[in-house]
Formats: sequence, C-alpha cells, structure tokens
Amino acid sequence: MFQGFPEIKEALIANKMQAGFIVAPMAIALRSQGVPIRIVYLGHRYGSAVVVRKDGDVKTPADLRGKTIAIPSRFSDERLIVIKVLKEFGMTTADVKLVEMSPPDVAGALAAKAIDAFSMGEPYPSQAEMGGFGRVLFQASDYWPDYMSCVLVVRQDVIDRYPHKVQILVDGVARSGLWLDEGIPHREHAADFVGRYYFRQPPALLRWALTHPPTRVIYSRLTPRKEDFDMVRDLMMSTGVLDKKIEFEEYVDTRFAETADFQTPWFFEPGEDQAE
Amino acid sequence: MKDIKRILLLLTAWVAAITGLHAWLNVDWKSIFNEYLPEDERKLNVAYIPVT
Repeated sequence: MFQGFPEIKEALIANKMQAGFIVAPMAIALRSQGVPIRIVYLGHRYGSAVVVRKDGDVKTPADLRGKTIAIPSRFSDERLIVIKVLKEFGMTTADVKLVEMSPPDVAGALAAKAIDAFSMGEPYPSQAEMGGFGRVLFQASDYWPDYMSCVLVVRQDVIDRYPHKVQILVDGVARSGLWLDEGIPHREHAADFVGRYYFRQPPALLRWALTHPPTRVIYSRLTPRKEDFDMVRDLMMSTGVLDKKIEFEEYVDTRFAETADFQTPWFFEPGEDQAE
Repeated sequence: MKDIKRILLLLTAWVAAITGLHAWLNVDWKSIFNEYLPEDERKLNVAYIPVT
C-alpha cells in the first residue's frame, strides 16, 4: 500500500511494482513521456467529490472563487473535474488556488481550515462528512457522466511476456466489481475486510463510502472506452499538463477487458471460506 | 550461579518465543519468497493507495 500516486509512479518505473492503480491522467502522461505501461482496466466509476467546510461560506460552485482547493495531483481527474466545473460557472484556475496534497491528509487539512475545499476520491469525502466538518458540494458524476478516476496499469514487459497473468488480474478485478455491485450486504462485508486488512481504515468509514448511497461509487462497466479517454486527454492538453496528442491505442490495451466482459461475479457470501 | 543460569535460560527462551511469534504473525513470508522465485512463477506486485 502506498500513500500517494507519485510514489506508485516511481515504483512502476523502477519495476518494484509490475502493476498499479493510478489516476487516468497520470497514466496518460507517463505513457506520453515514454514510460512503458498500458492501461488495461478501470478501477471504478464515480467515487470522487468536491467537499467544502460544513460551516463555511461555499454554498454553490460559484462560491469557490478565491478559495484554496486541494487535489491529489496535477495529473488527476479530480483536478480536471474542478476545472470543468469552474468553467461551467465562468471561472478558470486563475480564480482559485489549487494545491497538491496526499489524499490521506485532505480531511484533516479541511478540518484545520488549512484549505477551503478538496477534490478527492472516496473515502475522504465520507471521512469529512462523518467527522461532521465537511459537506459534499457536488459529486464528480453530477457534472461528468461516467466519470472515472483510478485505472489499472501494467508494465508493457509484463503484458508481452505474461499476458495470462494480466488476464487473471483483470478477471479478478472484474469479478470483484460485479460482486460488489450485487448489493449492500456485499459492500458492507467488503468494507469490513478491506478496512481491516488492506486499507487500515475504520470499516465504518468504508461502509459509509460504499453505501451512502451505493451509486456513490460503482464497480461495473470498467472496460476502457475511447470517448472517455479522448475527453481526459483533451482536457489535459487544454489545461497544460500534456504537451502532445497521444492516441487511445498507444496507452490502452483493451484485449484483457474484452475477455473480462464475459466474467461473472464471485460466488461468495459473507461467512464462507473461499470465493469461487 | 545457579540462579543466574536459570534467569539467562528463561530470558533466552522468552526472546526466542517472541522472535518466533513475530516472524509467524508479522512477516509476510510469501511476499518475501516471491522475489526469489523464477520470474514466470512470480506473482505480480500491484500498487494501490487507500482510496476506493
């Protein structure tokens, strides 16, 4: 487990990690810079929100003018959604102060009034809500239908030499996603074991993020689509974080997702020993 | 002398027991051994941060 996307980027480049979940614009930028990775699947859809202080004066996106907003990285969809919404309300990045911050730090920074808002993936919006000091100003999906954030990338040498391992990985993610989207009991169970054994976060926090409401983040329809990525790429170019056009086929390998499309959810109910 | 010997023995046993428990409970041996397997038998290392 890492605490920020830049560290994952370094680990992928150094081949300490052969695959990883990173934000889509970072994957596109890395590929554009010649780093040998490919996007093979999405991690989820939706699941990011802009959160403001509950007792603050930001009531609508128009009130963000002059405010300090934390984002996980300049190469993130969370930055792009802020820019997209600012534009909709007649503003640009010159009207706000965007600061990069490690995701686990944003809720504390909002509570301490070090920032006025943050744009981040779950469970940090839920953390601010549960803590009683944050309020969701808008969900990313309110302004960006089919919003995506984290994508699964794999090193090109692994794809070339061990495609069967990549397929097992993608199939596993697909089956887990379908299982999660089967209903709230599965999400509650996932919150318990992921909170304890993977994220080291309170299960109640993840339960909130996964069930308030369940559409807050979804784990199906994860096959990378050209139109989604073209939009991200174009937004990156127009906001100055990508200097040359790169085509979908250069940074995405869809063959694993196409096979995973035929997968079914895991056969597993809470309390059972093994998933099949 | 006998008491010192007994204390040392107990101390050694205690340290050995704690070390054994630590190695059993806290060390991810599978992931350590994974690095030494032939490349085609190795599991992929997948990086993530604690976001959903």
